[in-house]
Amino acid sequence: MPLEPVAQLAPALLDAGAGPATSLLGASFREGYVGSIVAVSLYVSLTAVALSTLVSVPAAVAIGLTDFPGKGFVKSVVNTGMGFPSVVVGLVVLFAVSNQGPLGSLELIFTREAMIMSQFVLATPPITAISLAAVSGVDDGVRDAARVLGGTRVDVALVVIKEARYGIATAVLAGFGRAISEVGSVLIVGGNITSADGISKTRTLTTAIQLEARQGRYETAMVLGAVLVALVLTVNAVVVRFGDRGVTG
Amino acid sequence: MLRATNVSRSYGDEPVFRDLTIDVDAGEVVAVIGPSGVGKTTLLRTLALSLEPDEGTVTLDGTDPWAADEAERLALRRRVGMVFQEASLFDGTVARNVEYGLRVRRSWSERLASLVRLNGAADAVRESLDVVGLADKTDQPADSLSGGEAQRVSFARALAYEPDVLLLDEPSSDLDPRNTAVIEDAVGEASDRGIGVVVATHDMHQAERVADRVAVLLDDGITEVGPTEEIFEDPADERTRKFISGELVY
Amino acid sequence: MAALGAGTIVGTAGCSSTGGSDGGGSGGNGTADEMPSVAGETLTLTTTTSTYDTGLLDEIHTDFEEMYGVTVDAVAQGTGAALETARNGDSDIVMVHARGLEDEFMRNGYGVNRRDLMFNDFVIVGPADDPAGIEGMGSATEALTTIAEAQAPFVSRGDNSGTHTKELNLWDAAGTDPGGDWYQETGTGMGEALNVANQQGAYTLSDRGTFISQRSEIDLTILVQGPIEGGPEILANPYGVMAVNPGVHENANYDLAMAYIGWITSPGVQNAISDYQVNGEQLFFPEAVSEDPDFQQYVPEGWSSDDADA
Repeated sequence: MPLEPVAQLAPALLDAGAGPATSLLGASFREGYVGSIVAVSLYVSLTAVALSTLVSVPAAVAIGLTDFPGKGFVKSVVNTGMGFPSVVVGLVVLFAVSNQGPLGSLELIFTREAMIMSQFVLATPPITAISLAAVSGVDDGVRDAARVLGGTRVDVALVVIKEARYGIATAVLAGFGRAISEVGSVLIVGGNITSADGISKTRTLTTAIQLEARQGRYETAMVLGAVLVALVLTVNAVVVRFGDRGVTG
Repeated sequence: MLRATNVSRSYGDEPVFRDLTIDVDAGEVVAVIGPSGVGKTTLLRTLALSLEPDEGTVTLDGTDPWAADEAERLALRRRVGMVFQEASLFDGTVARNVEYGLRVRRSWSERLASLVRLNGAADAVRESLDVVGLADKTDQPADSLSGGEAQRVSFARALAYEPDVLLLDEPSSDLDPRNTAVIEDAVGEASDRGIGVVVATHDMHQAERVADRVAVLLDDGITEVGPTEEIFEDPADERTRKFISGELVY
Repeated sequence: MAALGAGTIVGTAGCSSTGGSDGGGSGGNGTADEMPSVAGETLTLTTTTSTYDTGLLDEIHTDFEEMYGVTVDAVAQGTGAALETARNGDSDIVMVHARGLEDEFMRNGYGVNRRDLMFNDFVIVGPADDPAGIEGMGSATEALTTIAEAQAPFVSRGDNSGTHTKELNLWDAAGTDPGGDWYQETGTGMGEALNVANQQGAYTLSDRGTFISQRSEIDLTILVQGPIEGGPEILANPYGVMAVNPGVHENANYDLAMAYIGWITSPGVQNAISDYQVNGEQLFFPEAVSEDPDFQQYVPEGWSSDDADA
């Protein structure tokens, strides 16, 4: 995956920031630990969201711009998917990638790639649903004009996407939020693994929090929780800054 | 050049118009007048080759787009432009809006190579904006324009790629007299360039001002088509006379 | 003797080329410069959360990883899940402390070459003021019965873990059926359960290791000792390790699993296990190396070759 080199450099950089921060807050971790779990969280969630966006936005545009029988049903299904429990998605992906499952030969169990798969499934409904709402909110006149001035369906779709870009950005952020803060699926398909010297292989911020909590180390868990919140805030701020307006859709 | 012969259109079971015949030649201005809701917009969309007639044929230079393959249909459709009552400008600058028609007609590699401003389109853009008197607003954001200015840009947007036929659906209904005059001048300029123009309007005075020929569209179809003076001064059909004089109440 | 012998054989088997994935590799025993043919591979080990949370595995695995040039992925799941994962062939080796379930695993053909690994024990902990008065009792079952009769608050993990299974076995042996407001099932890990018990001034059954790790943060004390400190044998907590049967799952990394078992049952590593301390106390007591033969570790408890269905 093209993001691998980043994922290898990132832990050291992230730990340089997160390490001292967490010890300031009273929790001490092995060197490189926090950076590595942040790196895994970001790698898995960003990849899953990027892939999901590539699928969800065109799907939302296609659904939004076309009238077809059963459109209402499709919209209901997408909206229902938004509330789907992450642990159930994890189980379904587990069945698929387990040695006994259809994808068993790919040996994806307990890998970051399996985690990307399950987060892809989790992120797609919110990204699709919110993009769909944004696309549907684009003025009909704009669509008409784009078409009648000689645009193909693709041209019209591009115009609509551009008009709906703030809503679509909201959708992607919502998908990212869902992905990075879920614990149920990545725990089941990833296995919460670190190497013996504490560098994460499939441990994310959320599964690390879960580990601290199950051991009763609640303060430490809260510190990691603060790191997670700070991370989500940062990503949101970056995306919002990137667009000059707020998320008005 | 653009000819609709015995066309009919319905929405579901409701007929909109039946058995209409209308045509427009290069350099001509044809006004379609009639009460609101009678189907002028639907007729225009059919003429714009966007809506397939339920019955009858539409041809551009003798070719029926609905009998042709997709590529040819697209090429035919692209020789026609339409301006609606609402400007519906795109997000971005005025220039970006006006060059849209040119942009979609270029190849993908050209489009990707000139993401911000289309290569070689500057002249066409400026020229079209000159026609509506807005060349000085080329680089302004579209949402900073007033309603009248937006509609003028909408006109320039349809003009920029030099269509053979221009269809205008109530182009100045929402505009003040000054902007209306600009639009009407632009119509004249377009026809001077050899573009066939069809204007749908409920404003009979506008029809008198701009059109060479007038088609009167009433509930039961086009009642009469003829040179402007004739229609207004000496209509052949009784219903036309009643409509023009305001006796027909809808 | 048998244990030592087996360990040695497996140890050398791991070093020589076994014709694994790269057929043409090094011929006989590798020299000091050649890496074993398993180098670069990953061993997936499933174990329980309480085992993993002691930190023992992170402490000792580096040695194994460097020796063979491999990576050990330790997945902490929970006894039932650890075995199920192994059953599905998603792990190569399993390390748990639930003899009954390990026996079932072997009987059904999923596990081979079971070895006793180490043991620690369980303790019954509770509030210092000991409302049910069980302190110092020499019988765990009697202590539990006393708690039940006093209806003193008791926290159970309720999660089918090794600890929970032990707890249920104790209630069973005591002939008491726990139930009522005083008996709370949390469905959580040991650490959390101790926190809950701490907050409520309740009794609970804990493995000594987790209790020691948390002792500084909670106000509970050991009221009934385990066998390590002279308490009843029934509170013993033995750990076993098994390789996933390559006959059932072709792609189980059997070579590496056997190398691991050989390594972890070797005298050197067993010493390292006994040296491992948390908060200044030893957590695990090695069991793999012994002068005396111990055949029971290889077969389900009570199995004998005289049984008709061998």
